[in-house]
Amino acid sequence: MYRLVWILLAFMLFGCEDVIDIDVKEGKRQLVVDAWITDEVKEQTVSLSFSQAYFNQNSPEPALGAEVYIIRHDSTMFKFEDFDGDGKYTFTPRNRRFLDLNRQVALYIKYQGEEYYALSELKRVPTIDSLKYQSLTLPVKPSDGPQSGFVAQFYATDFEGEGDTYLVRSYKNDVLRGKSNEFVLCYDAGFSPSSNADGMLFIQPLRMAINSGLYSDGDKVTVELYSIPLEAYYFLYQLQQETNNGGIFATPPNNVPTNIINRNPESSEKAVGAFFVSNVSRFSAYIDKNGADTD
Amino acid sequence: MKYTLTFLSILFFSFASAQNNFTISGTVQDASNGEDIIGVNVYALEQKAGASTNVYGFYSISLPKGKHTLIFSYLGYHKIEKTVELDGNLTLNVELKEEGNLLDAVIVTAEREDANVRSVEMSVNKMEMKTIKKMPALLGEVDVIRSIQFLPGVSSVGEGSSGFNVRGGAIDQNLVLLDEAPVYNSSHLMGFFSIFNPDVVKDVKLIKGGIPSLYGGRISSILDVRMKEGNNKKTEFSGGIGTIFSRFMLESPIVKEKGSFVVALRRSYIDILAKPFLNKDLRKAKFYFYDFTAKANYKINNNNTVYLSGYFGRDVFGEDFGFDWGNATTTFRWNHVFNNKLFLNTTVFYSNYNYSLDSDLNNENTEDVFRWNSNILNYSIKPDFTWYLNSKNTLTFGGQSILYHFNPGQALVVSGGEGQDIGLDTKKAVESAVYIGNEQKITDNITLNYGLRYSHYNYFGTATSFLFDENTPAGERKPVLETNNHIGNESIQQYGNLEPRLAVNIGLSSNTSIKVGYNRLAQYIHLLSNTTASSPLDVWTPSTNNIKPQLSDQIAVGVFKNFADNKYESSIELYYKTLQNQIDYIRNADLLLNPYVEGDLMYGKGRAYGAEFFVKKNKGDLTGWVSYTLSRTERKVDGLNNNEWFLSRIDKLHNLSVVSMYDITKKWNIGATFMFMTGTPASFPTSKYTWQGMAIPHNYYDERNSYRIPASHRLDLSATKKNKHALFKRGESEWVFSVYNVYNRRNPFSVYVRQNPDDPSKTEAVRYSVFASVLPSITYNFKF
Repeated sequence: MYRLVWILLAFMLFGCEDVIDIDVKEGKRQLVVDAWITDEVKEQTVSLSFSQAYFNQNSPEPALGAEVYIIRHDSTMFKFEDFDGDGKYTFTPRNRRFLDLNRQVALYIKYQGEEYYALSELKRVPTIDSLKYQSLTLPVKPSDGPQSGFVAQFYATDFEGEGDTYLVRSYKNDVLRGKSNEFVLCYDAGFSPSSNADGMLFIQPLRMAINSGLYSDGDKVTVELYSIPLEAYYFLYQLQQETNNGGIFATPPNNVPTNIINRNPESSEKAVGAFFVSNVSRFSAYIDKNGADTD
Repeated sequence: MKYTLTFLSILFFSFASAQNNFTISGTVQDASNGEDIIGVNVYALEQKAGASTNVYGFYSISLPKGKHTLIFSYLGYHKIEKTVELDGNLTLNVELKEEGNLLDAVIVTAEREDANVRSVEMSVNKMEMKTIKKMPALLGEVDVIRSIQFLPGVSSVGEGSSGFNVRGGAIDQNLVLLDEAPVYNSSHLMGFFSIFNPDVVKDVKLIKGGIPSLYGGRISSILDVRMKEGNNKKTEFSGGIGTIFSRFMLESPIVKEKGSFVVALRRSYIDILAKPFLNKDLRKAKFYFYDFTAKANYKINNNNTVYLSGYFGRDVFGEDFGFDWGNATTTFRWNHVFNNKLFLNTTVFYSNYNYSLDSDLNNENTEDVFRWNSNILNYSIKPDFTWYLNSKNTLTFGGQSILYHFNPGQALVVSGGEGQDIGLDTKKAVESAVYIGNEQKITDNITLNYGLRYSHYNYFGTATSFLFDENTPAGERKPVLETNNHIGNESIQQYGNLEPRLAVNIGLSSNTSIKVGYNRLAQYIHLLSNTTASSPLDVWTPSTNNIKPQLSDQIAVGVFKNFADNKYESSIELYYKTLQNQIDYIRNADLLLNPYVEGDLMYGKGRAYGAEFFVKKNKGDLTGWVSYTLSRTERKVDGLNNNEWFLSRIDKLHNLSVVSMYDITKKWNIGATFMFMTGTPASFPTSKYTWQGMAIPHNYYDERNSYRIPASHRLDLSATKKNKHALFKRGESEWVFSVYNVYNRRNPFSVYVRQNPDDPSKTEAVRYSVFASVLPSITYNFKF
């Protein structure tokens, strides 16, 4: 809810932004765990790298030579291996889904004598029923897109029972809209716990969060709905806030939390990042100007 | 208890020393329009005794039997001398004539205007509307709140932010009073303009320390704004056309010299001008703000005057999706003079601040809707007595009771035709206070003002209260342990606070004094806001079983000295203030429509200290002041900054203002203001890490506000040309030309880091400026 309001407020203020240089103190290098696993029959990746100085624009340095396992609640272990020596540890399930619904699953990493672990849980995801689009002409031509085109929305309904959390993201012509303000988080069918939208059709701002600019005739739209555990919802919520936090209504910066824990609490080596697991439902459609809803 | 005893014994002592005197009392008004004049100096020459008029123009002075010369003087007015033969109590009403332009060949032998040295008040800044109107204004819109930011000890987080900060306090810690009714949001357009129509404002007074027992309810300052009564001698129509607002005001007698009224309307008109140029889709867009101010008074007889004043203002923005907010206040006041020594003002007010959001203003899409409204409503009664006991003691006593209704949010969500109400309970509270205070002249050179206020707060009603798990690690969301339902008018939580107040003036010579002030203040309502600038959607919340009242203790010491026959006044003040129960927020705190919002709050303490230097030139063609404040304000909250003290986000180390106004000729005058302010503190990441292709900022040391953004400085200029006549050769008029940000500086509002918009794995720092250009404007004002 908050974000919607801020976006509106920010839009109305005629401020001005300049990129400038600032000097900041450097922090200690930390292990970064990027592990978002889906229960799909395709290659799954756990990326290990290092944090770097904030204004260092080089690619992050990979963490090589780690042991990486995903461990199911029944103690089955899946080994992830870095075949290419680039810090991307992968595992491809053979022919069936390898995680169990509503069951805990652990990530275990051993790196340079330190042992790290993280826990997550696989949650249910509703199916996407349909995708609709309608034509729209903007009052002013945007600098990076057409003035006339289509806005799309997907339709899905939250499960009964409070506390389901999801992430929605989308692709335009198979290109992921991958910026941190291009995905949207859902708590039940609303934005946050206080939306009180359990069991409803996803509310309109969520359904329409798959647009950035207008779609054109013939574009392919793909929507992905991920179930995420509550902990991941708050991790991603904070991630969005900290990476889009400027202007007159900025909030004080805070660190994004992590669920990666060093097994030795006394160790000075602390990791950052997150591990979580998701179920996915997907829906694709091509924009056809003859098939648009008239409204 | 100890306080009370000391207090009573001092009182007793005062009564015992009372002499057998007579009293002269009355009101002082402006001869041209019948407006009561606040703060007129009344001086009894032979007795060397003085008094001044209160906010209703009333004064009372006790003198022995015999012949006396009374001198009534007020800056900018011709002084008047009255000789009286006193052999009984006497009512003496006086009218003062405004000095014309100082260039008129009339030489005014003004009485020493040394109120700043002589009065026991300290940490007080008064601003005359005449001065405010001559200062250069943003886009030519004369603005009370912007103008007071040039005073010592006052700052804001940045250009274009709403509200103001006094001596290191948050914006919700200022009690902003419009004719004694509190105003909860003092700005239009998110803080660009204040809600006070400059045409109807009569007097502005900011009290930053040594706050008398009469005032309470906020812990940083009192901004007391008084509205004009309206001309009771003749009908006048005035107005102006500016860049943003058009203004119209009508004032007229109801019964000549007995009663009058004033109505004033201001509306922004950019939307009306823009309409023909917008294409069809935007023509429905709403974008305006307005305020309506009205006041009437009637003098029933010499002993009874009644006043009714009201304010109604709104901001409306939107097209299909819209939101609007505004304040409404109504104040009824009754002045009653029991006798020459006892004066009573009773105020009854109603104040409502509300806002609403609607996703579908035109009701075109009933399938998917979001509607939300929130408000804070209060009713209050407040009797204030002034007892002019004798020439040495002026006693004030009274009380106040405020009933609050908080509606933190009622919302309706409709998705796909299915509706859901998201309602938060309405919260009710009563805040009451009784106070007594005495201004006592101990000797010719020592004056005390001491008092005590007792405030009591009761949070009650049909509501749900929560107990949270206090063992949660600091900085994390606290889970609910226990839920309690309350029905009827059951009390949920009560608080009481004794608030001692003291001010001392020690005169060192006829033009020098030292003043010391102490006050404790309690505040029972809080504005939840976790953003750099406050937004109109921030929620006011009452103290509850979880949220404790904010308390502050402040001690201030100052030296006041006037030079060159009071042409110049100067002061140096030092203050130290501590704050308790200051609200902060966990990361990802959800402050809107969250029933468990108290679990997202943290409570800490604060301290603020500083030195304020002030020199002002009051007389001559060139007037103005220089103010410099060196200050610091810090917070300490468990769970933030490794539990160490950190700079508050409103901290400003240096704050310099220069204000000058120059009358070149009878026709032309110019004004210039300059400000320099240290940048606000900021937090920046030490490192970043990449997660799913996104660069996430990270502060390894978890420090807060250890950097500062660059300083701000700005020069504004204005020139006013007075015309002989307005339209049709009647009345008078003037053109005001102003330029804001003359040398086109991009003052940073904030500096923040972000991902490069084209490549989210790259990072950069950004300076954000609210105004990034020179802003010239022209305003035309007229009066018939």
